[in-house]
Amino acid sequence: MSEVHEISPPKWASRFLKWYCDPRLLEDLEGDLYEIHQKYVDQDRKSKAKWTYVWLVFRSFRLSALKRNQKFKNSFFAMTKNNFKIAMRVLWRDKFNSSINLLGLTIGIACFLLLGLYVKQELSYDQFHLKKDRIFRSWLKEDYGEGRIFFNSQTPLRFEEMFESNFPEVEKTVQYIELNRLVGRGENRLNEKVTLISHDFFEVFDFPLIDGDTQNPLEGKDNLVISQAFAKKYFGDRDPIGQTLGIQINNEISDFTISAVFADIPYESSIQFDMGISAENGRDIYSERTYTAWFNVSPETYILLKENASITSISEKAEDVALGLMGDTSYGDGPMQKGQYNIGFQPLTDIHLNPDIPLGYAPVSNPQYVFILAAIGILVLIIACINYTTLSAGQSLKRSKEVGMRKVLGAVRGTLIYQYLSESMVLALFAMLIGTIATFLLIPTFNLLTGTEIFFQFEWWHALVYLGIGLLIGLMAGSYPALVISGFKTINILRGGNQSTGKLTARKGLVILQFLVTVFLISTTLIMKQQMQFLQNKDLGYDYEAVISTRLNANPELRRTSERITSGFANGELLKTKLEKYPEITKIAMGSHMFGTSGWINLAFNDDKGDFRRFRLLIVDAAYLNAFEIKMKEGRKFEFENGLDQRQSVILNQTAADYFGLENPVGSKLPGPDFGEHQIIGVTEDFHYSSLHSDIEPLVIVMNPVPIFEGISDADGGDSLIPKLVFTYTGPNLLEATEILKREWEATFPNESWNYEFIDERIKAQYESEARMNKLIGVATVLSIVIASLGLLGLTMLVINSKVKEIGIRKVMGASPSSLFKLLAKGFSIQLIIAIVLSVPITIWLMDKWLANFAYRIDISIGLFFVSSLISIIVAFLVISYHTVRATKVNPVESLRSE
Amino acid sequence: MRGEHIGELEELVLLTVGSLYKEAYAVAILDEILENTSRKMDVTAIHSVLRRLEKKGFVTSEMGGATNERGGRRKRFFSLTQAGRRVIEDTMELRLTLYNKLPKLAFVSV
Repeated sequence: MSEVHEISPPKWASRFLKWYCDPRLLEDLEGDLYEIHQKYVDQDRKSKAKWTYVWLVFRSFRLSALKRNQKFKNSFFAMTKNNFKIAMRVLWRDKFNSSINLLGLTIGIACFLLLGLYVKQELSYDQFHLKKDRIFRSWLKEDYGEGRIFFNSQTPLRFEEMFESNFPEVEKTVQYIELNRLVGRGENRLNEKVTLISHDFFEVFDFPLIDGDTQNPLEGKDNLVISQAFAKKYFGDRDPIGQTLGIQINNEISDFTISAVFADIPYESSIQFDMGISAENGRDIYSERTYTAWFNVSPETYILLKENASITSISEKAEDVALGLMGDTSYGDGPMQKGQYNIGFQPLTDIHLNPDIPLGYAPVSNPQYVFILAAIGILVLIIACINYTTLSAGQSLKRSKEVGMRKVLGAVRGTLIYQYLSESMVLALFAMLIGTIATFLLIPTFNLLTGTEIFFQFEWWHALVYLGIGLLIGLMAGSYPALVISGFKTINILRGGNQSTGKLTARKGLVILQFLVTVFLISTTLIMKQQMQFLQNKDLGYDYEAVISTRLNANPELRRTSERITSGFANGELLKTKLEKYPEITKIAMGSHMFGTSGWINLAFNDDKGDFRRFRLLIVDAAYLNAFEIKMKEGRKFEFENGLDQRQSVILNQTAADYFGLENPVGSKLPGPDFGEHQIIGVTEDFHYSSLHSDIEPLVIVMNPVPIFEGISDADGGDSLIPKLVFTYTGPNLLEATEILKREWEATFPNESWNYEFIDERIKAQYESEARMNKLIGVATVLSIVIASLGLLGLTMLVINSKVKEIGIRKVMGASPSSLFKLLAKGFSIQLIIAIVLSVPITIWLMDKWLANFAYRIDISIGLFFVSSLISIIVAFLVISYHTVRATKVNPVESLRSE
Repeated sequence: MRGEHIGELEELVLLTVGSLYKEAYAVAILDEILENTSRKMDVTAIHSVLRRLEKKGFVTSEMGGATNERGGRRKRFFSLTQAGRRVIEDTMELRLTLYNKLPKLAFVSV
């Protein structure tokens, strides 16, 4: 071997060279490369030497340098070439079966890829941050016993300082607050989401800054960073850096200078914003008290751990540190106890799919749904593979002579298996190619149909993944037929005896499995559809047809909540008088909350017996209950111009009356000691003001919230209390309604941007994720029906082919087409019935789990299974009859003559 | 035989093999070409051209003597064959013929 002096080139590269290179060329080639390597080493450019060597080794990998004797000229490679040739011929010869197989596999793959892309998108949330493993979001869970739990992933403002100065393990702490603010000056003011972010926000998260001051973009309080999309929106092609934008911070508009532009935030990010200003601006928005408060929550607090630090060490001592800092700050009667102020941390990448931790600013997905969709994608793929398996195994009879011949000529079982597997792999790779292209083309349609927003990102390594999936599919689909065919007994084949085409039970089992998945998917889709319809058609207890709502504004100078609410109502009155002029606008009303959200404010107090009580509060004008046609159980509604109502009257919903234990609610009071002067004047029938996922909760309705505010001990976030105005439009064109609103709004509030929402859309939006899931499964169902029908089509064809003579004889004896149909359908009917019977318990079990997500749900009815059975039976019989008709039309002479 | 015509790079390598006489192995050829034409090339390209030329019968090769350099690997020295010599001459002749026609044609057209 070589005498190694100084540095030798990388061993693995040399080994590779030795492996592929023709030994006759090897020595001098190696020597030449060595010499070049040495030349760089002598110049003291060691890494250049190494990489040049590796590069040259790869560049030398040419046909002319390859070994000609062993590795590439053995029987394995020769047979592979031959096998592929045979595979192409076989596929080409039987075009009907091949196209059924190809189509089935293609559809299966397309479905698998589409669902897979969706699942991948859900799983890849927040994965693009380089330091993702060290970023955590803190949460705060206050627990005062007796169900007095306040659990938030938005945390006090002072947490930022607390984490930074008390925990050496923390490298950085940043906070993030979303606000809605008017942006711009003069006429074109837009309502935008503006975020308050800590100055080192961009050092923790990987939102690349692409223009302007990329080092310290939020140095000044009046600095503004915007996304690329917003740079275009506001400045077009002009250079945005250094431009100013006015943003209304309190009641005045401040100018902000754009210091940097960041790349648009990817879809798979929990944190989504287009405008960020320094968190310092919070000083103008929040009072000094907010900054020192322990119970006030609004920012999300993210910490970046130092490398190798452990999060548990922080969460273990976080509460003690907080309690230590708190001193004698108290909740209720005494000082804070240990266990009452729990601080915890959630990894950044955990946020999107963890529904156990309350929502922050970002919406989260249900991990269950992601899992179910992944499972369905795989199931559909499997039934596509089963198609191939059953068809090829069934067809194997045709090829028994070929197998016999090969065996006589010395083929061993392994070679035969390899040959048949290459056939299925060729087909699978074709299907993969077409399926991938189809997926790519179908994505827009798929998004439109199902309301998802998936897109196709291709990176070079994906090609390997697709290739791998293709081969795996080929292996899965082809292994059973390969085993069956290769297992034929040579002597039997050549003697001309009949061959058993594999264990019939196995094939029947596969067909049953295929039917089972299909029937299961049909039932699932139907049940989900029923539940969605049930939700949409359920009488919610109020009328929301063609109701439009618009958020009013309060005078921003006012600090006290009750004053702001009053000012909102006053503004609403101005708009109301204008809208009243239009005959097509009726039922104008105002209220602090609108339907279609789960964010109605939650209040709590300790009642006379000391029990902790929670309820939700709705502040309305006199028209509200009538506008929505909410029915009264007893007592009366609020009256216009009734001073008493405006001051102190209270209406409860039925649940609240029961919850507070009021036997004769009308005329009595709420059971708390501190409430201001008030009186209950009526009880409404229960109505579903929040989504049907949850039960109806106690609700208190007032015109004046002050007496209630006096008696409560806790308030839990939720939607803004500033009132919204609603009206019903009775004209023919809903677009007209928004036009009127826009016109009158701009005449009334020239400085505010107008907004509107349709209540029915908001209500629908609450079930969006379920509806999307339903649609996704619907797509998978349709595709699986198609795949299963294709399989059935192929199978009946096989059966008929093997019974050509039998059918001919029967026809000669006078059999009618319908009796022939019975003959053919009998076998499949049994399998189908077994599949249907098996599918029932599986469906009931899984769907029951899904339905448990809803407080109001349908019961799974037996009738539904009849429907899905009927669908599958009809589809199956249609497919079978197609071939039967063809088979019975053949003149028996034709089929019997050929011997 | 298909090798009556040779490409530009092949010609260049062939000429260099001839001019280096007894010292023509791949790395030396590479350096020589770099020196004369300042053309930066990959040694693998030289290898592949040399193999092609050998197959066409324009060069032959033999291994050099044992050495302690190059990690102990011997060099493969190339030399021109008769056919190689002839193809160079043919090419040169062809060029010369064409070249000699050039000024006349140019005069006529001006």
